[in-house]
Amino acid sequence: MLEFIDITKTFNADLFTQPFTALKNVSFKVEPEKIVGFLGANGAGKTTSLKIAMDFIRPTGGNVIFDPRLGKNSLDIFSKIGFLPERPFFYPYLTGREFCYYIGKLSDLNKKEIDIKIEQWSHRFKIHFALDREINTYSKGMLQRIGFLVTLLHDPEFIILDEPLSGLDPIGRKDLKDIIVEINKLGKTVFFSSHIVSDVEEICSNVIFLKDGELYYEGSVDEIIQKNIKPTSIIKYLNDEGIQQLTVSNENKMNEIQKLSVTNVQIISIEVEKASLEEIIYNVK
Amino acid sequence: MLNRKVLNKIYTIAFYTSKEVIKSKVLLNTLILGFGLLVVTFIAYSFTYGEPSRVALDFGLGTLSLSSVAIAIFMGVGLLSDEIQNRTVYIIISRPVPRYGFILGRLIGLSCVLVINILILSLITLPLYFFIGGVYESLILWTILYIVIESILMLIIVSFFSLLTTKVLSVILSIVVYIVGHAIDGAKILNFVAERPILEKVLDFYHYVLPGFYKLNLKDHLLYKQNISIDYLTSNLMYGVIYGAALTMMSIFIFSKKNLD
Repeated sequence: MLEFIDITKTFNADLFTQPFTALKNVSFKVEPEKIVGFLGANGAGKTTSLKIAMDFIRPTGGNVIFDPRLGKNSLDIFSKIGFLPERPFFYPYLTGREFCYYIGKLSDLNKKEIDIKIEQWSHRFKIHFALDREINTYSKGMLQRIGFLVTLLHDPEFIILDEPLSGLDPIGRKDLKDIIVEINKLGKTVFFSSHIVSDVEEICSNVIFLKDGELYYEGSVDEIIQKNIKPTSIIKYLNDEGIQQLTVSNENKMNEIQKLSVTNVQIISIEVEKASLEEIIYNVK
Repeated sequence: MLNRKVLNKIYTIAFYTSKEVIKSKVLLNTLILGFGLLVVTFIAYSFTYGEPSRVALDFGLGTLSLSSVAIAIFMGVGLLSDEIQNRTVYIIISRPVPRYGFILGRLIGLSCVLVINILILSLITLPLYFFIGGVYESLILWTILYIVIESILMLIIVSFFSLLTTKVLSVILSIVVYIVGHAIDGAKILNFVAERPILEKVLDFYHYVLPGFYKLNLKDHLLYKQNISIDYLTSNLMYGVIYGAALTMMSIFIFSKKNLD
């Protein structure tokens, strides 16, 4: 759906400060019909990458290529993309419904189509009750929900979300994650940046990880976890004192099992210890 | 470039820009200003001998002009820069909307608000003028039209500056351009300038590059009943329109190249 080829972005602040390179020869691919997480610490270059993808800023070097199925020129391509920026701030004096009409009309939808989409998504996003209120009365979570709603109004093929889950309570995060999975099942590609690694691990099949403006990892979530399997196993057994747990190195695993089997204990499970994506990312940091 | 789809989008952006500004209660200030204008005009009328209707017209058109320019500057300075700062522009231009469509829509939207402001104040000023004995002259309508052009030109100037520098500096620069643009014609005929060729050249340069707002000021001609040819009126009108169009093209060029970060 989207390919970055050798993207470099340098910001030239002014005469008195050194130029700052935010992205260094970054190349990656967002495969169609997948949920791809975009990870990295603050300042790693995630938002800069998304701004380049959306043509808000131009790269110093490299190319951005969209899947030809999205269209040939930028207007065709953008008509099939839904984008939600980080910490969205919308027109405070428009109501949620007026805002939906505004963005819907810009997406070449007519009033009837917009009404159908509002009806379809506003209940799903639990924002239907506030659609006729001015946006300046919305909470942060409600802003995120109305933002997500207008992102999906025109039924985009490719959805790009910049920190969509930040600032939401656990219920809000779960709702939005469920919707992301739901729209992916409809064949849509979702590419979203996040600080919350566990969310990415939970719903993404693939992950792109930036570190200090460079690509650190690109691939499937399962693969990175497999690569980071620890050389230890956990043996759980039951004795007179209850369930016990023993962490042993994989080399010593068989010896320990033999030792336990001669004692009067019942072995419950033997598991290879796996690192979570979060642990892997923290180790990288 | 400007096909029907894009024109529809420009209209949509303009419509919702006007709606947003009107709902922000800017026009409530206009109504309060209009009420104040009525009171001040009545007081001035009560203390004036000779031609009180002219005084009413002077107050009315002066308020009309200044309030429109003030709205143009203070609302116009955030017209594009606030959109970038608040990232609302990302939502708009991530839709199939060309950047020039966005800038034109925003400018047209706020221009409509300026026109509504001028209409409201005109509807307060003119009936009062006729009520106290003023007579209709076509120059009154020309003057109001020129005020519309002047305030839209100020809007384009301030939004142009806001693409290049900070909001505060944009406001200061726009006010300076407005004042100098009105004073330049008078300054040129001063002896002080006539005796200094370099200064005269600087003023000539200003004439060619920066807007001559004095050309869009018909109030003195109207109040002192000076005759103006239709050629003068149309050529100055064209000057304002062409200057505004050229500056809008420059704003579009800058905005299309600008990194929106």
